[in-house]
Amino acid sequence: MQTVLKSGVLISMVFSAVTLTILVLKTFSFGKKKLYAEPTGDIKKGITYAFTKGMMPWEKESAGSHLPTYICGMFYHTGIFLALFYIFVVIIPITLPDIAILIFQVFCLSAFVSGIVLLIKRLLTPYMRELSCPDDIAANIIVDIYLVLAFVHTFFPGITTYFYLTAIIMFAYIPLGKIRHCFFFFYIRILFGIFYGRRGVFPTRSKIDET
Amino acid sequence: MNEKKDSKDPFDEQIEQLTPDDLQKALQVFEQKIDHKYAAHLNSCVHCGLCADVCHYYLTYKDLQSIPAYKLSLVIGVFKKYFSFSGKAIPRWVGAKTLDKDMVKEWIDSLFGRCSLCGRCAINCSIGLNIPYLIRTARSALAAIGLVPPGLQSTVNTAIEKGNNMGIAKEDWLETVEWVEEELQDDIDDRNAVLPLDKKGAKYFYTINPREAMFFPLSIQAVGKIFHAAGESWTFSSDNYDVTNYGLYNGDDEAAGIMSDRLVRSMKELGCNTLVLAECGHGFNSNRWEAPEWLSKKYGFEVRSILEVVAGFIRDGKIKLDPAKNQDLITLHDPCNLVRLGGIVEEQRYILKHAAANFIEMIPNRQKNFCCGGGGGQLSMTRFSERRLKVGKIKSDQIQKTGAKIVASPCHNCIDQLMELNKHYKLNVQIKTVCEIAADALVI
Ligand code: SF4
Ligand code: SF4
Repeated sequence: MQTVLKSGVLISMVFSAVTLTILVLKTFSFGKKKLYAEPTGDIKKGITYAFTKGMMPWEKESAGSHLPTYICGMFYHTGIFLALFYIFVVIIPITLPDIAILIFQVFCLSAFVSGIVLLIKRLLTPYMRELSCPDDIAANIIVDIYLVLAFVHTFFPGITTYFYLTAIIMFAYIPLGKIRHCFFFFYIRILFGIFYGRRGVFPTRSKIDET
Repeated sequence: MNEKKDSKDPFDEQIEQLTPDDLQKALQVFEQKIDHKYAAHLNSCVHCGLCADVCHYYLTYKDLQSIPAYKLSLVIGVFKKYFSFSGKAIPRWVGAKTLDKDMVKEWIDSLFGRCSLCGRCAINCSIGLNIPYLIRTARSALAAIGLVPPGLQSTVNTAIEKGNNMGIAKEDWLETVEWVEEELQDDIDDRNAVLPLDKKGAKYFYTINPREAMFFPLSIQAVGKIFHAAGESWTFSSDNYDVTNYGLYNGDDEAAGIMSDRLVRSMKELGCNTLVLAECGHGFNSNRWEAPEWLSKKYGFEVRSILEVVAGFIRDGKIKLDPAKNQDLITLHDPCNLVRLGGIVEEQRYILKHAAANFIEMIPNRQKNFCCGGGGGQLSMTRFSERRLKVGKIKSDQIQKTGAKIVASPCHNCIDQLMELNKHYKLNVQIKTVCEIAADALVI
């Protein structure tokens, strides 16, 4: 049974990877437009800004004014990436040192709690509820279940069957719904950096004293 | 449409008469406007809602329709429905939306009527989605089927037909230049101060917002005075002087390209070095950043804001300013297209630092500043005027808090809106361009 499920997880991962690749190829099939305007700013600095200062709550008003949501989001996504790594730990299997397990448990539990907080916020805030489609809720629930099972699994390896089953569902769902943003996020931050970097908006170019 | 509902409105009737072919055409144009970058963006909104309270429309109306993510969902929904697998297979589940008559109405009301394309949501989006540019792709689709709100479309039409967006006849423009030149000469008591026209080989080719010629000749005079004091070679064109480009707002790239190309042609005909764009936010974004893309060509000459040029004159000691000549407390409005989307952030501050004794920043400012409410073509779309004035309350409060007597605004569109806000909210301030303030401080 375990072997079948393990294969199921791998097949589901491959499905996810292939479908995401198709999605990316489809995205690129819309064509690439060459940029003609001469940049005044620095694209590399813009990209660095996009992944560093540009995401900080003191720089980004929306993050600063929604600090609890921002912190939950940070914990949630860090935990998810660690939990994605954890499935390999279980499948291969790899023996992790106790300290690594402990760190994982802390992040995984915080991520689960954050996921639940974000879900409650989505359901209880009227405008968030209206903005949401079923996919938003389903994606959150699937990932939350995956996180909690990953956490519990570190104490009770006997639940591997349920952990694998959830992993299969989650990997199969990634390319179909909003979880795909984990894939596009990095690309879009790069585009953000290019857009504002070349225009000298972020970081601000101070041309007056330079020339 | 929520505002000014009138069943006999020809524009509303036009919407009612939409055919499946029209919708198909809109979809085709929508698809054409999407490149791989936009396609990635359209796949990535997570409905986190963090963009809501950075938008002046949502802060004013507190309704779902004013949330940037909602406006974007109208665009993303249509994209998903026609161009994504999940949108075709499980449309309700992923929020896919059919482009039908009702959606067209929503697009017009939300994407034209509740967005000034200010970009404040984009810099605050959790993911980094370029929301105003995505909204503009839908505006392009509406433009292709003739469904741009009439005031905005007629501004574009006038510019295309008459060569400038106010339909100023050539003789009137030439007369204005002559008259402003005389005023300038009287002002500084110097017959050598001229406003050159069609001067071949001039270093700077200067453009204006046609509103200056019609209503604000003092701002033309101010720039003339600065160029004269700097001893620089510059010129106007007797034909192509309009820096504005409402094609940025109606989404019609072809029309936008025609307008910008006129400046490029005149630059080349006159053999000038630098195209200098007047204090006009969208004119700067259009001609500096977007026009080379609309025209698919590199310019081969420099394009600069007049603010960059004047800041350079000060830095290089070509002009001298005495801040004591401007004693009133001055604050500065940052036009979205110039600052957040254009990258001209510090030049206006540098000029004001040298030209004014008392300066105070609005909070927030620079890239984070609030839109005045007049961008995105709002000033020309009378059907949404009521909203425009309401959302302008945020800017009005910002101004009031500074206690300033003068608001410097390096954009004539913003000036129009600020003047209305001044009247409507009884701000009792003076509104000037940055160059007007600099010209007042000139030591000649
Ligand atoms: S571009 Fe400006 S007006 Fe439009 S949705 Fe974003 S914040 Fe609101
Ligand atoms: S902040 Fe960005 S990702 Fe979040 S709802 Fe708004 S547009 Fe979507």
